[in-house]
Amino acid sequence: MKIKFFDANAYIGTQMLGVYKSAATAAELLEKMDEVEIEKALVYHMAQFDYSPEEGNKMLVETMAGNKRLFGCWTLLPPQTEEVIADNFFAQMKKNRIFALNLFPVHHRFLLNGVVFGEFFKELIKRKIPLVLSMREGGATWEMLYSLLKEFPNLTCILTDLSIWGVDRYTFPLLEKYEKVYLESGVLSLHEGSFEMTVKKFGAKRLVFGTGFPEKYQEASMLHLLHSNISETDKQKIAAGNMEKLLSEVKL
Amino acid sequence: MRNMSQLAKDIFKYGRVKDCPVYDMHGHMGSHYGIHFPTKSAEKTVKSMQAANVQKLIFSHHGSLMMRDGNSLSLKEARKFPGLLKVYCTINPNFPEVTEKDLAAFDEARDVYVGIKLLAAYHKKPITDDGYKKAWEFANKRKLFALVHTWGDNNMNGPEQIDEVARKYPGCKIFMGHSCHGEWDKAVLLANKYKNVYLELTAVPDERGPMEKFIEKAGSKKILFGTDMPWFSYHNYIGAVLGAVRKEEDLRNIFYLNAKKLLGEIGQL
Ligand SMILES: [Zn+2]
Repeated sequence: MKIKFFDANAYIGTQMLGVYKSAATAAELLEKMDEVEIEKALVYHMAQFDYSPEEGNKMLVETMAGNKRLFGCWTLLPPQTEEVIADNFFAQMKKNRIFALNLFPVHHRFLLNGVVFGEFFKELIKRKIPLVLSMREGGATWEMLYSLLKEFPNLTCILTDLSIWGVDRYTFPLLEKYEKVYLESGVLSLHEGSFEMTVKKFGAKRLVFGTGFPEKYQEASMLHLLHSNISETDKQKIAAGNMEKLLSEVKL
Repeated sequence: MRNMSQLAKDIFKYGRVKDCPVYDMHGHMGSHYGIHFPTKSAEKTVKSMQAANVQKLIFSHHGSLMMRDGNSLSLKEARKFPGLLKVYCTINPNFPEVTEKDLAAFDEARDVYVGIKLLAAYHKKPITDDGYKKAWEFANKRKLFALVHTWGDNNMNGPEQIDEVARKYPGCKIFMGHSCHGEWDKAVLLANKYKNVYLELTAVPDERGPMEKFIEKAGSKKILFGTDMPWFSYHNYIGAVLGAVRKEEDLRNIFYLNAKKLLGEIGQL
């Protein structure tokens, strides 16, 4: 069986400190995806993190140019400042092929809780829009994540950029308690045996394939998934099926 | 998979290729204070090795690194699979009496011992400290391997300290574990300057760029494959190397040829 890949974690653009051979445009990213045979990707623009969510979100739409293989992910800021979340927000998402939202509360200096996002997160739950939480420096902390899920247990959360040091002691309790928490496989596949144990304990439906490109090698998480000690059906679910299902349920 | 050698394509297809074994020159074993490791025992480790055709793992048990007098844990695990597993004798400079005992017993364990392991940044004494002197002299005289945890911007085991020990102990085959992580250019300079100094890949493949630099500036003959097993998984790391290194000859040097040559030189092949 030929495994089809949907990358849940890639970005366009480079960091202000530079990243080795990153993709400056959506076209360059697609070229890199073709090279390793990745069919689709959920993408954001690094300017959303490093420079300005407001401007970066626009840059993402511009470079994606409606390409059907790419699914956009905008970056949120608190609704009250009206920098990102304004009237017709969901209609704008639909128009611009934005299927998921991410946020970086530490780097962008706000709190991740109901005081800030209460009504908005209720809307995300209703519309089944996934919230992507990067655990990279500047993203969410584990404490933030734990208290967020206590307040919004039905929020669909995809945790990406898991730490180089194994994170099972953090992730297993979340996977046990909240059924809408998903892990992106990129850095997870780096940890010997953790990926397989996660599948065994919580099922393949809780993982989505991701690469972490351009910081990480696409080939690393791909080779790992292809030869991991799980069934072929589970491999296909993780490689693309779960992500496609999640995005197909989004109501915009 | 465009732009890949036939060998790389075969590894992608089959997960392991018979005529391209992998030698892992940097591993550990057992449980750990900060991380849950599903693969803790020698038995499980060997299973993971076989899935990726890893034919040799040289390791130091977490118990030898994180507590006093733990080298016997490494020996016990390695002797379950003596053909596959070899051991670095951990030297902790905070316990000179243990070092003395371990070095005195080293020859009795030559069935599995291949060298010494230094983790200076954790043990808080630079690798040039007197607490390591006996071990360096011992390894130098016997032309053993010395796997040194190295990191950039660090005065315990950074490039400057490697420069000093490489000069002082030319008999040792010094493996820069993590290749002076972050100070990649300095690591390359050291690998080029000293015949006895090698770049080791653990914690290098999780970032694009440095491996390409190593190939270009130091050449694949100075690069050793390592994973920190059970920290990092074989197929993820092998995949990353395939993403960075295009030529089959370079892949073979990194995966096994360099390691086999070095093991041959110390009569441990
Ligand atoms: Zn190590």
